[in-house]
Amino acid sequence: MDPECSRLLPALCAVLADPRQPVADDTCLEKLLDWFTAVTEAGSSLLLLQENPCLVELLFHVLKSQDLSSRILSFSLRLAGIFAAQEDCFQYLQQGELLPMLFGEVGPLGGAAWTAPAVRSGWIQGLRTLAQHPSALHFLAACGAVDTIFSLQGDPSLFVASAAGQLLVHILDLAMRGPAEGRRSPQACDWPACAQKIVGHIEDSLCSTAIPQVTQALSVLTTAFGHCHGLWTQGLWVRLSPLVARLLEKDPVPASHSLVDLLLSVARSAPSSDRGLWETLAQTLSHLSPTQAGPLALGILKLQDCFIHRLPKDKRDSWSSPAQSRAGFILRTCSAAFCHLPSGLTLWILGHPVPQALRTQAFGILLQPLACVLEAAAQAPGPPGLLEGAAADSMMVDTLLSSKSACVGLLCCALAHLGLLQPLPQRPSPWPQAPLLGAAVTTLRLCSGSAAPTSDVGGRLCAILVGCGRVQRAALDFLGALSQGTGPQELVTQVFSVLLEYLVSPESSSMVLKKAFQATLRWLLSSPKTPGCCDLDPHTQLFLRELLPVLQKRLCSPCWEVRDSGLEFLTQMTRHWGGQAGFRQALLASEVPELTKQLLRDPESYVRASAVTATGQLSSWGLCATPASPECPGAQQESLLVELLHILSTDSEGFPRRAVMQVFTEWLRDGHADVAEDAERFVAGVLQAASRDLDWEVRAQGLELALVFLEQLLGQRSSHCPYAVALPETAPPGVLDQALQVLCRVQLFEFAFRALFDCDRPVAQKSCDLLLFLRAKAAPCGSSQEAGDSPNVASVEATLQRWQAGEQGQPLGYLEPGAVVALLRSIDLEGLRDTLAESSDHVEKSPQSLLQDMLAAVGVLGENEADCY
Amino acid sequence: MPEIRVTPLGAGQDVGRSCILVSIAGKNVMLDCGMHMGFSDDRRFPDFSYITRSGRLTDFLDCVIISHFHLDHCGALPYFSEMVGYDGPIYMTQPTQAICPILLEDYRKIAVDKKGEANFFTSQMIKDCMKKVVAVHLHQTVQVDDELEIKAYYAGHVLGAAMFQIKVGSESVVYTGDYNMTPDRHLGAAWIDKCRPNLLITESTYATTIRDSKRCRERDFLKKVHETVERGGKLWARWPGGAARGSSRAGLPPPLQVLIPVFALGRAQELCILLETFWERMDLKAPIYFSTGLTEKANHYYKLFIPWTNQKIRKTFVQRNMFEFKHIKAFDRAFADSPGPMVVFATPGMLHAGQSLQIFRKWAGNEKNMVIMPGYCVQGTVGHKILSGQRKLEMEGRQVLEVKMQVEYMSFSAHADAKGIMQLVGQAEPENVLLVHGEAKKMEFLKQKIEQEFRVSCYMPANGETVTLPTSPSIPVGISLGLLKREMAQGLLPDAKKPRLLHGTLIMKDSNFRLVSSEQALKELGLAEHQLRFTCRVHLHDTRKEQETAVRVYSHLKSVLKDHCVQHLPDGSVTVESILIQAAAHSEDPGTKVLLVSWTYQDEELGSYLTSLLKKGLPQAS
Repeated sequence: MDPECSRLLPALCAVLADPRQPVADDTCLEKLLDWFTAVTEAGSSLLLLQENPCLVELLFHVLKSQDLSSRILSFSLRLAGIFAAQEDCFQYLQQGELLPMLFGEVGPLGGAAWTAPAVRSGWIQGLRTLAQHPSALHFLAACGAVDTIFSLQGDPSLFVASAAGQLLVHILDLAMRGPAEGRRSPQACDWPACAQKIVGHIEDSLCSTAIPQVTQALSVLTTAFGHCHGLWTQGLWVRLSPLVARLLEKDPVPASHSLVDLLLSVARSAPSSDRGLWETLAQTLSHLSPTQAGPLALGILKLQDCFIHRLPKDKRDSWSSPAQSRAGFILRTCSAAFCHLPSGLTLWILGHPVPQALRTQAFGILLQPLACVLEAAAQAPGPPGLLEGAAADSMMVDTLLSSKSACVGLLCCALAHLGLLQPLPQRPSPWPQAPLLGAAVTTLRLCSGSAAPTSDVGGRLCAILVGCGRVQRAALDFLGALSQGTGPQELVTQVFSVLLEYLVSPESSSMVLKKAFQATLRWLLSSPKTPGCCDLDPHTQLFLRELLPVLQKRLCSPCWEVRDSGLEFLTQMTRHWGGQAGFRQALLASEVPELTKQLLRDPESYVRASAVTATGQLSSWGLCATPASPECPGAQQESLLVELLHILSTDSEGFPRRAVMQVFTEWLRDGHADVAEDAERFVAGVLQAASRDLDWEVRAQGLELALVFLEQLLGQRSSHCPYAVALPETAPPGVLDQALQVLCRVQLFEFAFRALFDCDRPVAQKSCDLLLFLRAKAAPCGSSQEAGDSPNVASVEATLQRWQAGEQGQPLGYLEPGAVVALLRSIDLEGLRDTLAESSDHVEKSPQSLLQDMLAAVGVLGENEADCY
Repeated sequence: MPEIRVTPLGAGQDVGRSCILVSIAGKNVMLDCGMHMGFSDDRRFPDFSYITRSGRLTDFLDCVIISHFHLDHCGALPYFSEMVGYDGPIYMTQPTQAICPILLEDYRKIAVDKKGEANFFTSQMIKDCMKKVVAVHLHQTVQVDDELEIKAYYAGHVLGAAMFQIKVGSESVVYTGDYNMTPDRHLGAAWIDKCRPNLLITESTYATTIRDSKRCRERDFLKKVHETVERGGKLWARWPGGAARGSSRAGLPPPLQVLIPVFALGRAQELCILLETFWERMDLKAPIYFSTGLTEKANHYYKLFIPWTNQKIRKTFVQRNMFEFKHIKAFDRAFADSPGPMVVFATPGMLHAGQSLQIFRKWAGNEKNMVIMPGYCVQGTVGHKILSGQRKLEMEGRQVLEVKMQVEYMSFSAHADAKGIMQLVGQAEPENVLLVHGEAKKMEFLKQKIEQEFRVSCYMPANGETVTLPTSPSIPVGISLGLLKREMAQGLLPDAKKPRLLHGTLIMKDSNFRLVSSEQALKELGLAEHQLRFTCRVHLHDTRKEQETAVRVYSHLKSVLKDHCVQHLPDGSVTVESILIQAAAHSEDPGTKVLLVSWTYQDEELGSYLTSLLKKGLPQAS
């Protein structure tokens, strides 16, 4: 521990122990515990207590004091736990009988303070930290803590109840781990007493008729299978699975959500070779209501991913083939459930793959709601539906029609679950892409009221869903996800038609429109190219002709969200299709480019920023608004540059200015024609505007642009990581001198040196990187050595010192290239970089600062304590 | 039993990180989504994993409601919607919708600036989050879905702050957010109608405080600023000793420059109006600057939302908009080095980064200067340090900054005090009250006061604790016109003071309840009518023959029931209205006769009366 902290600690402990002194800030105690955790992790807790006896004294004092606040009591319990986590320190505290007094019946547990949730929480957290060694287990048994933890599982505080469950799992894991672990039988006779007690309690709870108790037991087991990877968990499942299966015999199934969580946790953690688990899963699927079964079905279908996601990538690719997963392979090469590969990656032992029948059953559950929708809306018997012609489950139809909320909930879940499944490699195969597309389109039509179902169920569904924004949003997300697959042209046409319907509809809310734009973009970008031609296919071109007038209308929407979503859509579309003739023709024939330009003056800054990005993108592809006069084709482009510069210098908001800087950087990087014409003038103008900006992100972006310019003059950096300055190859002297001349002319150094002492850390950091790069390029060049003693350098150094002191009023003046190189050598850039790597408030956040603040707050608190924002 | 459940994830017996989950009639609503500025790790946000253990957040939550733009009420919103994955609607008032992203952006910039945090929400996320917002007008009832509706009421506190009523059927909850029951310089007082909610969730920041007049605080503030920039030290001696911290102020040279660290919006505008008006009135010349480029946008919104300000501003804005500041100009970084007197508003408000900290470092060494902290500072900030009297601050690179400038603290936070909270409870007349956003000890005091004065239950759950309130929902039932007409035909006009029984058949179909006549019910349901008769046997000691017993019964009833039609039928039975009485011999005891009494449902009352009458026996024959 820092000597200064050690010096302050006794005074602080005295303050904490004094009930008349309120604690400064509710975060202070938390931060203090963080610090003690860090200190004890780095060294011996015993030594810490011996060197700072005030800490033990504080704990004793807390026990004696009657009117201490619950916060201090909770803090003390957690603090004791941190110290006792090391076994020797635990023994030391035990000698003084401190731990039983804190955590046993005689402590806060039996007192009035126990009514405060903070104290109960502190008690649990203290024990959780303490329980790290066998002595702790004995202690827990001796002080009867486990029974208290059982009762805290039903605590009125969610936090306490949840922590109690986690603590039980932690204790169980601690008790079961160790040399005998692999040899323990599922029959608990050879399990440690503590584990037997906990498992017995879980068994009793599972058999209970009280649902909260069943829930508690299931959630403890879920945590155990989710977090503990010892072989003992398999034994535990063998022992408890009959009781879990028995829950399915009850109607309704109690604590169904928790049951689903448990089964999935077991399936993910311990792929079992026995068939029991899969049978239980199948039974559960059939016993639960459609709404409850959805998450379980999704979990089952995602299971294979769990099996392989911890493998190294090369193995994953070769092992994920269906043949291998179907064959199933079990790698049992070590006694633990997993082993560590040399690369540090964890390799799961793979169990039997999920039986195909179970996957089919699960997939059927996810598909059922959409199958109902398809069936209900069908005008006439059509092609096979989602479930191979099977009639929609009557229970599903009942659920869908029972109430609006049930229908909306079920459909949204099904759409979201299928959307999550769609991109996964282990999604069911064959994937019913066409019926799913049909279902998504039908759902959207039911919601918009454009579907005209003839059946009774269809009519009722239509009445429920019409205008339902929630289902519209979910269906649009799902439709977007389906763009990754293909579909029959007829269906794809329907997809575009329904998307257009939504984009046109005045009923569409801004969020629905945003999702419609996103889905449209995904479908457009995934549309197939015409074979042998790099241009867009005729269907897409046709759609574009219909879409652009809609986009035009949306860019004039009174709602800023809609204008902005439209601009974002346009930017993305242009980025991908800027070079496609079909797109260019359609766009230039529309008023979209002109409108986009007009939006540069939008009252809403978000829209202005998006308009800047969109116009920048359009301009990059030569798609900006048509030139004003045929005689002067460059006039419009030039005016855009001027307009963007004007925004950079005058816009009162940061977003548009930042967007301008990003566009300019991109233009410079890509060699935009107007920039390339006179790059020097361009860079000088932009840097001048950026240097005056009050928004540090604009200044930082200015440095990014400066770096691009530097790289163009002097050559690329070897690493793309902005904070990893590798040593670049030095530039040839001739090139360097010329480049430095240019850099001096554009006043890049004035900008960079000013930024080096910027009050905003990221700006200074970026500038430091830039100057380090420049120095590495220029350093070996000895031609300017003598410049180090010139009067120019001395005056610049003096100015820089003033800047560093915060006085940035004085300009640097014109710099000679030689002076620049000399300056670069004289400034300790590495030292500065190290300083900047720390957070700007690291001093204020230090433990010493924390202790000083807590002590300083004593006595002055009364004046400010009641205040808040 | 239907119930309302409330679980604070934040603001339960604490101030900061407001986030309260309410379940009402099967609907789940999150009230506020705030962050704690005192933490820089995950603890700054509420633990959203407790909202639902299984399933998606968007499926579980019906909506999120944000009461106002302060970060302890909305700071976690982009994290919740864009990083945790909530995709449903977010409701807030229009000013909150406009101002919220500015503060979120401001905070994001500071967080990234200070620590270079990568795992933090981005500008794009703030924008995407704001696109999910649905703006709510004051007193407008907004249907979230077919059953859930919300309504906003004026809360004062800051521009756009609102209290929200959440209603499902006949059950309702009111959440106050932060509010102020006294008008201030630019905002009016909170107001709510007598909506009698099942539960009122109210903030209790000043649960035990009766606050002094804000005018006094304003006067003090102006005096300090004025003396600093204009008059100099001769007035220091007259200041109350309690205001001075650290060194004695008497005999100090004239102070010059005043730094007021503020967050870009809210209190900054209030103080700007204060100084602007004062400068105008006193014809002062010292410049006032606002350090960030945000003034323009902030003031633009304040101008735009004039209807949300107080009456005075609303009345006068045609002649002069109070938010068009003549004396307050944009700050340039070079001005900080100018020697003359000036007042600078700089962000951030806790002196923990950026411009305010930079200016503070420049000015701190001069005892002529002054810093006024108009709000709360969390531990770990320079603001917190100087407020607790620390005068030697260690800065980066082991530099020590000696703070010689004068440090003042003036609270301008606008919350209802104990009196105001009681006033609001009285105004809304809730069935139950739940306290949040306050300290446990103070809440305890207020809880007792509320329970005593209003005779309602008051709760104060800690974070993570759930309060469950049983409710008795009233279920609307439609009555058929035919049934009502039949009742009216009986000639009696409805009288609220004399409730009458109305018989009918309740049909429950498709979640609808209708009361119709039994005939109509039978017709609608296609059912045949079955007569149901109640029967009872009464044993009488009578040695006479059955016929004679029946005559005695007839005579007795005829004499007792003068208003009813009592008949003796030829078969020997007696009838009273629909009630039939027959006498029979007892199978075992010839001295006992059995009277069989039967009646219809409609004459149940009379049937019961007759039975009890006959059980008393017949009068002896004279």
